[in-house]
Amino acid sequence: MDIAEYLGGKTLKTFIGIVFIFYFMFSSSILLRNFCECLKIVYYPMTSLIFIIITFIIVICITLHHRFSSIAKVNLLIIPLVIISIIFLFVANIENFSLDNIFPIFGDGLFNTFVTGLGNLGAFGGITLLYFLPPLLKEPQKMKKVYLTSVILGTIYFLLCVSIILFMFISLMYTNQIMPLYSAARHIEFGNFFQRLESVFLLIWILQMVCYLSIVSKLSIFIFKKITNIQDEKPIILVFGLLIFAISLFPKNYAISKFIENYLYHYMVIGISIILGLSILILAYLKKRKKKELNANYEENH
Amino acid sequence: MNFKDLLSSMFTYTPDNKQTYHFNLVEDIHTKAYPESDIGKDENPKTKIFPSLTVNTDYLKSKFNLLINSDIIFRNFVLNARGKQYQALLIFIDGMINTEIMNEFILEPLMMRNKNNLFEGSQNKVISEAVANNITVRKVKKFNLPNYISSCLVPQNAIKQVSTFEEIISGINSGNCALFIDTLDLAFDIEVKGFKQRGIEKPSNEIVIKGPHESFVENIRTNTSLIRRFVNNENLIIENVNVGNITKTKCGVCYISGLANEDLIAEVKFRMHNLDVDALLSAGQLEQLITDSSNINSPQLISTERPDKAASYLLDGRVIILVNGSPYAIITPGILSDFLSSPDDKNQKALFSNFTKFIRLLAAFITLLLPGLYIAVTSFHQEILPTELLFSILASRANVPFPIIFELLVLEISFELIREAGLRVPSPIGPTIGIVGALVMGQAAVSAGIVSPILIIVVAITGTASFAIPDYAFGFHLRVYRFLFIFLGYLCGFLGIALGLFTYMIMMCDSKSFGVPYTTGISPLEHVKGSSYFLPPVWKREYRSGFLNSKKTNKQGHISMKWKNS
Repeated sequence: MDIAEYLGGKTLKTFIGIVFIFYFMFSSSILLRNFCECLKIVYYPMTSLIFIIITFIIVICITLHHRFSSIAKVNLLIIPLVIISIIFLFVANIENFSLDNIFPIFGDGLFNTFVTGLGNLGAFGGITLLYFLPPLLKEPQKMKKVYLTSVILGTIYFLLCVSIILFMFISLMYTNQIMPLYSAARHIEFGNFFQRLESVFLLIWILQMVCYLSIVSKLSIFIFKKITNIQDEKPIILVFGLLIFAISLFPKNYAISKFIENYLYHYMVIGISIILGLSILILAYLKKRKKKELNANYEENH
Repeated sequence: MNFKDLLSSMFTYTPDNKQTYHFNLVEDIHTKAYPESDIGKDENPKTKIFPSLTVNTDYLKSKFNLLINSDIIFRNFVLNARGKQYQALLIFIDGMINTEIMNEFILEPLMMRNKNNLFEGSQNKVISEAVANNITVRKVKKFNLPNYISSCLVPQNAIKQVSTFEEIISGINSGNCALFIDTLDLAFDIEVKGFKQRGIEKPSNEIVIKGPHESFVENIRTNTSLIRRFVNNENLIIENVNVGNITKTKCGVCYISGLANEDLIAEVKFRMHNLDVDALLSAGQLEQLITDSSNINSPQLISTERPDKAASYLLDGRVIILVNGSPYAIITPGILSDFLSSPDDKNQKALFSNFTKFIRLLAAFITLLLPGLYIAVTSFHQEILPTELLFSILASRANVPFPIIFELLVLEISFELIREAGLRVPSPIGPTIGIVGALVMGQAAVSAGIVSPILIIVVAITGTASFAIPDYAFGFHLRVYRFLFIFLGYLCGFLGIALGLFTYMIMMCDSKSFGVPYTTGISPLEHVKGSSYFLPPVWKREYRSGFLNSKKTNKQGHISMKWKNS
């Protein structure tokens, strides 16, 4: 936000802020909708989807009343649990892995893999959060360390998830599955006693989901505060909660919501997070360099 | 009432002419019978003592309501000093003073004539004399009656000259005696406390195996002496703060100067000085009055009855508060891991103490979540259970006509009832209540088909786990929140448990105790030095708790066991 202001003044700052608020609200709502759809299919077939979504919204609204540092602290408690769970899922499923499942490597053909499949870059949407992290850090000088740790942890998690899905299911199968990792968890067996542990994983994934939603909503409010210069954020918490709730109910059914996630959301990530974000950073860098050069020339001349 | 009267009263009518006595304390809550009392409000707190004994006597008689107050003693006598006689008055509260001290060391020296006290003549004492040119120069020390009394007449260790009624009344109320002398506009506050009090006993709630077996008592001075014995250093400061407009309860703020953070000390004193309450009767009340606000109601200050534990925290750089009349000390600040720690942890090898710490952590999770998880699993996630276990649970529930939530709540509430009853009943019957409650009622409930046997096991494990929590207040907190998780588990299964757990963690992470994040040592990890939940070996416990930012970081050398290198 500050970089955008440096580059194009208040107008650009406001524009970028609105774009990112929209992006965060949209992405969190669609992810929430899809996650709740999966929960409904797996565990709560008789429950109305609205009730499942509302439970999340209530928790988000409560969370937003607390400080950002508190959300970060809870993340610090939950993230190790998530990493351990995915490692466990990987290790426990090793016997079910088959190397043949990853072949043919470019099965869809080079064009489909690299051009049509470009939208898959949307999976890296989480990087967007890093843009807004520096002002929230207690020690901004440790920014590089924080970024590196987040990227490494994210990469490990991502690689483990992809490996589990790739090695366990043939590509035709997992594309049609509702929650491929959930299906992978169903295969875990330890003797006769531990045969179905998927609900434990689900508990961890729910925690993970709320973590993500609360961070994204808090950031949206943070951006809104920066744009409007409001002092107290409490009155707008409910508005943001209701917005997420309303947007998540837009898709008529799971198929549409999945379509939005796979196409609209993924391309939105590329457009906003990667292209827009990076171009602002590059342009701001160039402006700074030019200013530096001009200053140097001015000092030389005088 | 005989049978005839009964019949007549039932079947006949006689008008009731007798006036019956009715007493109502409040007729109308909006009309006040009396004007608002100004008790406890110090409108004129610094009333100076008058030089006239009669005026002082009248003033104090009115202050102490002597006409209706039975235990306030006003003792008039004649004081002999340097051959002169003065009218004097002693005021004390019967039952709060030591009569022997009063008779032998106050009344006797003041009333009896002795040789040294009979010195007559000039009241001024000549210190030195010099004669030059027929002129005598004398260095004279002027006779000062108050100094003479306190330094020559009263052989008492604690005697203080005070000039206001507020100070002297406070002294009398705390068990001292006040000495007034005619013509003097000051009084003497002489310590003659001697009320009956409980001796030092074994701790009843914080039992340890290897530690000392002494606990605090109700008297603040005994408690301070206990702490001093453990700390054994002159830098231990015990500051007095009075709390309560009416009771003016004496509280002691203890810290080690040179160790404790100055800001922390100032904050503790600031909060205690800014309490507008009429009365303070226990450490528990003070704890609630000075604690930071928290949505989660978890204890944020540690309460202990063990002087060794208090001393250990003092040496860590924390601040301790003692309240007169309460056998508990308050330790500030308190963080989450403190409530799962026992004083015995440091007395054992790290491996053993960490094992017990792990067990306690597990106990906390079981206390909080087990019933909720049970209800979630049986209602929504049956697949997690092995088939055989699921069958046995179903079979055990076959004869129970109630829904599982009702069954669980009945048992949990019964368990709480038994626990509460066990606390209230006289100690010889306590175990009987436990046996009757747990064995007989449990067995009967299963036989009657009200509850299933597996649920009894779940509730029993939860109850046992709650006893493993070392801090009573924290155990109570977990017991209450357990009900919330039962409802969440019943409503939404693991979804409810996960969302509830997240909210609970957020609230816990948001709490602070005297400016210290409540979850320090667990999350964030930035001040983990010296405050981690699991203990390192004794030679590696180099640092004081990092979050306290105490004045001395290290509490032992880098190599503490130097004998190994010699």
